[in-house]
Amino acid sequence: MLNRMKAKCSVVALVAILFSFLNQGTLAYFSLVGKAASVVTSGNIQFAIHEMTDQGTEFPEEGVYILPGAVVSKEVSIENICAHPFYLRVKIVYGVDSKELSAEDCFKLQIDPARWILHEGWYYYNGEVSPGMTTENVFSHVEIVGSKVDNRYLGKTLQLTVLAQAVQSENNPLTDEKPYTASGWPAE
Amino acid sequence: MKRTVTLFGALLLALFLPLTAFAADGRVIYDGNAMEYVFEPGSDDSPTDLFPDFKGVMPGDQLTERVTVKSQLKDKTKVKIYLRSLGARDDSKAFLSQLGLKVKKSDENDMAYMFDAAADDAAQLSDWVYLGTLYAGGEVNLDVILSVPASLGNEFQDQVGVLEWEFKIEEFPSEPDDPTPPPMGDDFRLGLFLALSGASLLMIFIILWALRKKNGKQEKPAASN
Repeated sequence: MLNRMKAKCSVVALVAILFSFLNQGTLAYFSLVGKAASVVTSGNIQFAIHEMTDQGTEFPEEGVYILPGAVVSKEVSIENICAHPFYLRVKIVYGVDSKELSAEDCFKLQIDPARWILHEGWYYYNGEVSPGMTTENVFSHVEIVGSKVDNRYLGKTLQLTVLAQAVQSENNPLTDEKPYTASGWPAE
Repeated sequence: MKRTVTLFGALLLALFLPLTAFAADGRVIYDGNAMEYVFEPGSDDSPTDLFPDFKGVMPGDQLTERVTVKSQLKDKTKVKIYLRSLGARDDSKAFLSQLGLKVKKSDENDMAYMFDAAADDAAQLSDWVYLGTLYAGGEVNLDVILSVPASLGNEFQDQVGVLEWEFKIEEFPSEPDDPTPPPMGDDFRLGLFLALSGASLLMIFIILWALRKKNGKQEKPAASN
């Protein structure tokens, strides 16, 4: 009786083993996992302000001595040094190292209104500045207004500062092609 | 002569243009013989980078990258292929959490996105998602769509975000009732390509030679006068 039971068990075990072999045919041979580290990078907006003289040299950082009525050569342009196009605006800020005096109206600039559109104190470049492009000069010379700069300004330092801001032009539609309608101009 | 040189250059360009048409796609190639994956094209930031088009992204961008998963197997073997996401690396989360990402199988547009969440998240791809069964030479295409919100701030300029995905292959033997894999259009046959290129170049030289000969005949009487 015990032997017959053993025989039955053996047959069942053998069948189970055979089934397991058969089932192996539908199991995977190999599996392999591989990892990919993919990268997203963001762009940027960068520009350089160039200040040159009509002699082709850089305008001196320490400034120049001026006399009333003098015309100083100072050519200011802006270059796109990033991979993306942008809209551009500049602001001219005047200053003097005296609390009693004002620098307003001491300088006279010639800014081409067709190229630089004045809107609420900023001059907007009329168009897009492409990568690698340098704008036309914002101005090329500065006249010291003789009627304004009198003896009170003797020994004082007058400052003319060019501020520039840019905002991407990609995905940034304009209204009536007016650059000041672009979105994203930094708050003042 | 200048015109013919220009023509020659244009024809050469036309010959090689098809080779570069898909250069911007990401590719995952499973080499069944070597039992390894090849990830292309890679980048300076990661040798396994699958997103060549997601570089220098700007606010408002909506970009699509195709990632092709291809099986190079010995015949009579098929693979099941799965994908899962490990999400963004810790130092990338602040940036990638600002971006939206969608993933879908390219040829099944009626299929819901298998992934639709912030780019740093693993979301619906936390667990393995079955992409399909591939036979020798077969491939499956994924469309990865990146959305950069227009409101992305200046603090996210010049960022690098790394997103980790894992691919899993399970090999199976082919069965008699398996469908015959269709011939792949992008199988690269070097011999055929070289023969066609050679024939094309030969034709160009024959045309150039004929033109030159014709020009020579026309110029001779003028020279004698």
